[in-house]
Amino acid sequence: MNKIEDLLNHIKHLVPDNKKVRIMNVCGSHEHTIAFSGMRSLMPANLELVPGPGCPVCVCPESDIINAINLSNREDVILVTYGDMLRVPSKEGSIRAQGRNYRMITSPSEAIRTARENPDKKVVFFSIGFETTTAPTAAILETGVPENLFILSSHRLTPTIMEILVKDAEIGLDGFIAPGHVSAITGSNAWNVFSEKYGIPTVVAGFDADNLMMGIAEILRQLKTGEVKTGNVYAGVVRPEGNLHAQRIMDKFFEVADVNWRGVGFVPGSGLELRDIYADRDARRVFDLKEIKEEKIPGCICGSIILGKAYPDTCRLFKKACSPKTPKGPCMVSMEGSCNIWYRAG
Amino acid sequence: MKKIEIGHGSGGKLTRDLIEKTFMKYFRSDELKPLEDAACIHLDHDRRTAITTDSYVIRPLFFPGGNIGKLSVCGTINDLAVSGAVPKYLSLGLIIEEGFPIESLEQIIKSINDTAAAAGVSIVTGDTKVVEKDKCDGIYINTTGIGEIVIQLPARNVSAGDAVIVTGTIGDHGTAIAMARERFDIEARVESDCSPLNGMLTPLFEIDGLRWMRDPTRGGLATVLVELSGATGLGARIFEDRVPVREDVRFIQDMLGYDPLYLANEGKAVIITSAGSADRVIEILRAHPLGKNASVIGNISSEFNGVRLKTRIGGERTLEMLEEDSLPRIC
Repeated sequence: MNKIEDLLNHIKHLVPDNKKVRIMNVCGSHEHTIAFSGMRSLMPANLELVPGPGCPVCVCPESDIINAINLSNREDVILVTYGDMLRVPSKEGSIRAQGRNYRMITSPSEAIRTARENPDKKVVFFSIGFETTTAPTAAILETGVPENLFILSSHRLTPTIMEILVKDAEIGLDGFIAPGHVSAITGSNAWNVFSEKYGIPTVVAGFDADNLMMGIAEILRQLKTGEVKTGNVYAGVVRPEGNLHAQRIMDKFFEVADVNWRGVGFVPGSGLELRDIYADRDARRVFDLKEIKEEKIPGCICGSIILGKAYPDTCRLFKKACSPKTPKGPCMVSMEGSCNIWYRAG
Repeated sequence: MKKIEIGHGSGGKLTRDLIEKTFMKYFRSDELKPLEDAACIHLDHDRRTAITTDSYVIRPLFFPGGNIGKLSVCGTINDLAVSGAVPKYLSLGLIIEEGFPIESLEQIIKSINDTAAAAGVSIVTGDTKVVEKDKCDGIYINTTGIGEIVIQLPARNVSAGDAVIVTGTIGDHGTAIAMARERFDIEARVESDCSPLNGMLTPLFEIDGLRWMRDPTRGGLATVLVELSGATGLGARIFEDRVPVREDVRFIQDMLGYDPLYLANEGKAVIITSAGSADRVIEILRAHPLGKNASVIGNISSEFNGVRLKTRIGGERTLEMLEEDSLPRIC
């Protein structure tokens, strides 16, 4: 307990007296720890811990979900994807409600297993997520996948969206807690741009409350002293250069693409698609999938929540029309979504 | 047209709505009104009898630590025990799907007998029905239990300053079922805590400060305390670092995103006692093999309503009743 009290005192000591400080996390697991530990109730009043785009399920474009529903309704296809994706609403419903041939998987190796067990079907792996889930998908491609397995890539790049947030004066960020798992892949060097170009302290942190508070204290220290640089309080796991093997295979199979983020819109250079030489694995090309225009959900402010412009409890649907049981917007569906976390953490 | 949803069987908010709006509209007996786990009935003037009934639809039928048969005995016995009664007799109703293997049925029946015998309870009547293939999921069981009431423990006994006790690690049953149901690539063996609690709880009936007990099944510890708060108008404050949770359960639930506070238990009780008798209650519980991890986890307060969790780092958050049923057919 002493260590935690020391950390809290340290944070209180470092926060400026009469200025608001906004620190954003961009990882559902960080937000989970913050909400479930009641950390906000312990922070000084002028220190805001802002949840950002930490939920890959939430930002997956509606167009990809509708395409996935349509694929799962083909006789010759089995769609496989992570559990949360089955429940995300779209104007055409969810995969679970409107799809027919779909299976939930917990890792890409299960996609291979499904393809092997169903040689007469085309198995489409709807692969979503940030760098942490891109690497395992690249890994199955590297080891070789069955002829009947195709990838529908809806992967997104964390540093690119963070740069969009930093440039948006309306959001007004003073620091980033960088995601521990993503950093294990990208390396902490991936965040250097924020200190060097924008003067925003960015500190890699792990997932327990103590480590997160150490990260927060380090951001505050940098703001106070002006010594702004990439920090890492999760150095046991995250190296400056990251996982070079993972980076190499991701680069081998995927290329940077201009893509949509749900509720946010078009963000150049923020997604990953399969490279042309792997077009025969690319579900978008094999099944000739078209982009479908996104429809706004009445009353839903998930877009603003993802960007850190609003908190979940300021949405008029929150805990009323929108709950984990009847989610209206994507942020209420996934366990990593800010609205879902805030709902469950009370 | 409104329809029954899976959540109406969750034991949570939707179940309560169904009971209040549909059932209680017609059923008016004084014995039913308190809506406790077991009803108190008077068959003669001097003795009070507790009666309770429960149906078991768990999937899968066999799981680490038990099966639907063992569960159908434990669940009903525990409802009697936490109501201050000594369980005596059980009825056994079986609804079996055509094609169900006799061998599996016998395994279930053997468990029922073993569990009831160990708990000192007799199966005294039964019924068997068979439905066509695909009209039920293997086997469903209903048991009704009758016990002798030793002490009545209404929620109004509870007052500010009382201690909140849990008899052991929470979330084991919910975790075991989740693991048995899904093809998770996780190597861990968590067994359901499914056990009859009467042997451990009966000695507590003599303690003066014993106020109230409940078995935190569906909806878990948090839901039981929210219900208690609703019934008493008092608040409960519990401390995260005092609530016993197995390391592997915590790890698995972290990965799955569930909160052990809301997971089902089938061999645990939540006990409210006066602050002064808490030590004695813990001593009795810990002397029993099922109560080794019994702990005082918090207290009752008149300063607020609802349930508040003091987190390990000293933060505070409110525990609410969840409408979402994270794991249907858990019992």
